Amino acid sequence: MIVSADNRKLAGLATIWIVLALAPYWMAPLGGYTALGTRILVLGLAAMSVNFLLGFTGVLSFGHAAYFGLGAYGAGFALKFLAPSTPLALVCGMLLGGIAGAALGALIARRRGVYFAMVTIAFGQVFYYIAFQWSSVTGGDDGLRNFSRQPLHFGSATIDILGNANAFYYFVLVCVALAVGVMGFILRSPFGRTMIAIRENERRARFLGIPVDRHIWLAFTLSCFFMAFAGALYALVNNFADPRGLHYSQSGDFVMMAVMGGMRRFWGPLLGAAIFVVLQDYLSSVTVNWMSFVGVIFIAIVLFFPRGLLGVLQRRSEA
Amino acid sequence: MTNLLEVRGATKRFGSLVAVRDVSLAVQPGELRAIIGPNGAGKTTFFNMISGFFRPTSGSIVFDGRDITSTPAYQRVVLGMGRTFQITEIFPELTVFENVRISTEVADGYRLRPWIGRAAKDHVRRQVEETLTLTGLQAKAQRLVGELSHGDQRAAEIAMALALRPRLLLLDEPTAGMGEQETYEITQLVRRLHKDSKLTILLIEHDMRVIFHLADRITVLDQGNLLAEGTPQEIAINEAVQSAYLGKAA
Amino acid sequence: MTQLLLFNITNGLIIGAFYVLMALGLSLILNLSNVINFAHGGFLVLGGYLAYTITPYVGFWGALVFAPPLIALVGLAVERTLIKPLYGRDPLYSLLLTFGLAFVIEDGTRFIWGAQGKPVTVPAILAQPLSDELFFITGYRLFMVATVAVAVAALFVLLRFTRLGIRIRAGTLDLETVSALGINVGRLRAMNFGVGIYLAGLSGVLAAGQLGLEPTMGTGLLMPSFIAIIVGGVGSLTGTLLGGLLIGVASGITAVFLPAASEAIMYVLMAVILMIRPRGLLGEEGMMT
Repeated sequence: MIVSADNRKLAGLATIWIVLALAPYWMAPLGGYTALGTRILVLGLAAMSVNFLLGFTGVLSFGHAAYFGLGAYGAGFALKFLAPSTPLALVCGMLLGGIAGAALGALIARRRGVYFAMVTIAFGQVFYYIAFQWSSVTGGDDGLRNFSRQPLHFGSATIDILGNANAFYYFVLVCVALAVGVMGFILRSPFGRTMIAIRENERRARFLGIPVDRHIWLAFTLSCFFMAFAGALYALVNNFADPRGLHYSQSGDFVMMAVMGGMRRFWGPLLGAAIFVVLQDYLSSVTVNWMSFVGVIFIAIVLFFPRGLLGVLQRRSEA
Repeated sequence: MTNLLEVRGATKRFGSLVAVRDVSLAVQPGELRAIIGPNGAGKTTFFNMISGFFRPTSGSIVFDGRDITSTPAYQRVVLGMGRTFQITEIFPELTVFENVRISTEVADGYRLRPWIGRAAKDHVRRQVEETLTLTGLQAKAQRLVGELSHGDQRAAEIAMALALRPRLLLLDEPTAGMGEQETYEITQLVRRLHKDSKLTILLIEHDMRVIFHLADRITVLDQGNLLAEGTPQEIAINEAVQSAYLGKAA
Repeated sequence: MTQLLLFNITNGLIIGAFYVLMALGLSLILNLSNVINFAHGGFLVLGGYLAYTITPYVGFWGALVFAPPLIALVGLAVERTLIKPLYGRDPLYSLLLTFGLAFVIEDGTRFIWGAQGKPVTVPAILAQPLSDELFFITGYRLFMVATVAVAVAALFVLLRFTRLGIRIRAGTLDLETVSALGINVGRLRAMNFGVGIYLAGLSGVLAAGQLGLEPTMGTGLLMPSFIAIIVGGVGSLTGTLLGGLLIGVASGITAVFLPAASEAIMYVLMAVILMIRPRGLLGEEGMMT
């Protein structure tokens, strides 16, 4: 039966959402648990945010975890010092990371390639360092603690996302769906097309009248907002903000998720996040040297599967 | 008639190497000017100064009465200058349609839009189809540009430049690396753009037949210097030009 | 006050010298091959541990002489097998590879030598302070600076006067032309990488004597190297030299007035440089890609 490309796309999209919506029910029999699914969703969003820049604009930002961490701390601060409101926490986290990204992006938007990567890493480390040193505010090495996500109140109804793992999962799913929706929207817009143009051929984009540096800054800023949103969600997942979430090795993880799943595909990073998280969880439970295994996997993927899982599948289907 | 483009005493130095020395040129609206010269004459460097790839070491460039010597490259495009490159610069993994669409959206002022409505989308689509028809690519609209033949890629690149609705088109060796048939087709395309669409065109070429077929006036460069300028007939009989070419023949 | 300042500036220079050694190796590899070697810290650690292992047989001086070249050989092997395939590709991949490699090295070190720190003994003559007045300059620290100075001088001689060095410099400017001249670019990259790793190994041996040994010490030294390169200017080794010393001294001076900020100052320095002179102190324009 020949199905048109559009219908196939729609069917694929529907499948993804159905699978995600029913996750709490099919995960348990497979040995998983709902909280794992929640984690994967959030980290997947983070990986997709990195990919917004990496896979779609072609910009090598390797210090992106900084904005993830800032989002987490922002949410934590809001819950600890502002008000016991989950939505407020999310907004605060998003703003903290997003605005930092906008400011730093302005400083580095003219750099390219490895130099850009180096500077983003170094800047990211500034925040890691601050989180560590300013321990009176941030909790230092122990991270920010003693806050928790608050139940949601809608008039007379209350959704207990603190106690009920499934309820929280669906809350996160809705948030992620929103973010992903906006992301997809932007990528399909004229602005999104200029991002892809810059990835495909920066010189040509410039000579079509696109102010490349400015567009890169915009893409950078947008991706930081998404990233910070993911970070804020992650703080809610753990009720804890970890300084290690700001470290460049966390950035490396996100980039690897994007590469593993497939950088050129919209949903690749989410798939990569799922694989990565499951793999890492499994490895750390069976061996003390899980770090070497993760490193070897990085190396293997880079050498043999640079196009990621979806890339490999796409090749197969085209052959 | 005021000149569309005026280059006054442009010089470009790279360290101690002088690639272009004190070259001036004035192009009138609707003119097709060819720039020729032996290899190493500085033709592409000259183009690069005009299009803003880099700035002249000294001299000035005036476009439609406006001094653009320091204007960034993308801005010159917005002001009405389109350009193709010696090595075709396109978006290889996008279709022909998508390539031209990006140009069109930028030209229409949509580049920052997070969303365009159905009406605007259709308008853009019609414009893209028009441009594709003009360059003879309408049948290949859905093919990936990276997979097209050399000649078609060049045509696509020209289409992208055209979609910007430029007032001045800079073509850097459009027939480079092409066989007889493709050269003919590109030449016809450029001719149509010049005669029918009344575009002002600045053309670097090596193929003499193409030049004599198309050019209104010819500027000859040699080793960075302006050697001669005139109509094709004048240049054909110019002794200095002949010796510059024959002297280099090896 | 002056004595305190002097003390800290000298301290800063000593630390800076050390950063320079690390950063130069990193810079060499970056300039020629466009690879950010995340595993550089790992090679430093390997150098230190290897020195620790062979010291019982060849003594401290023997370790100083033999450990770095051995590590350089390891580096060469890694370059030829893992990094070579990635040269034509997007720099993202070599980044990820060295990143993964850093994990493997760190964990491998833990596996071979154990997670505990290792004590390192330094020859007695070096452990003495110079004099009562200059008590803060121990012989070892002076020795470290001297070693760095010798290494840096040797590096500059290599780059200026030997065939390999000239080819490396040419390759940094224009690799295509170099290969068109018939020079084996692959071998050039390998040798360059080897030299860079030698410097990392040497840093490791020196660090062991100063800081002791533990598997995670490499990553902490990677960031200052990055910053030294950014501040000094990408593409310029002299810049890296300057950058390293500068951040060391800045750190030293800050320790006098605001001790808590002495580590942060290098990030501030980097931010300032990026704002007012983005290409770095001695960087060349157009080295941004």
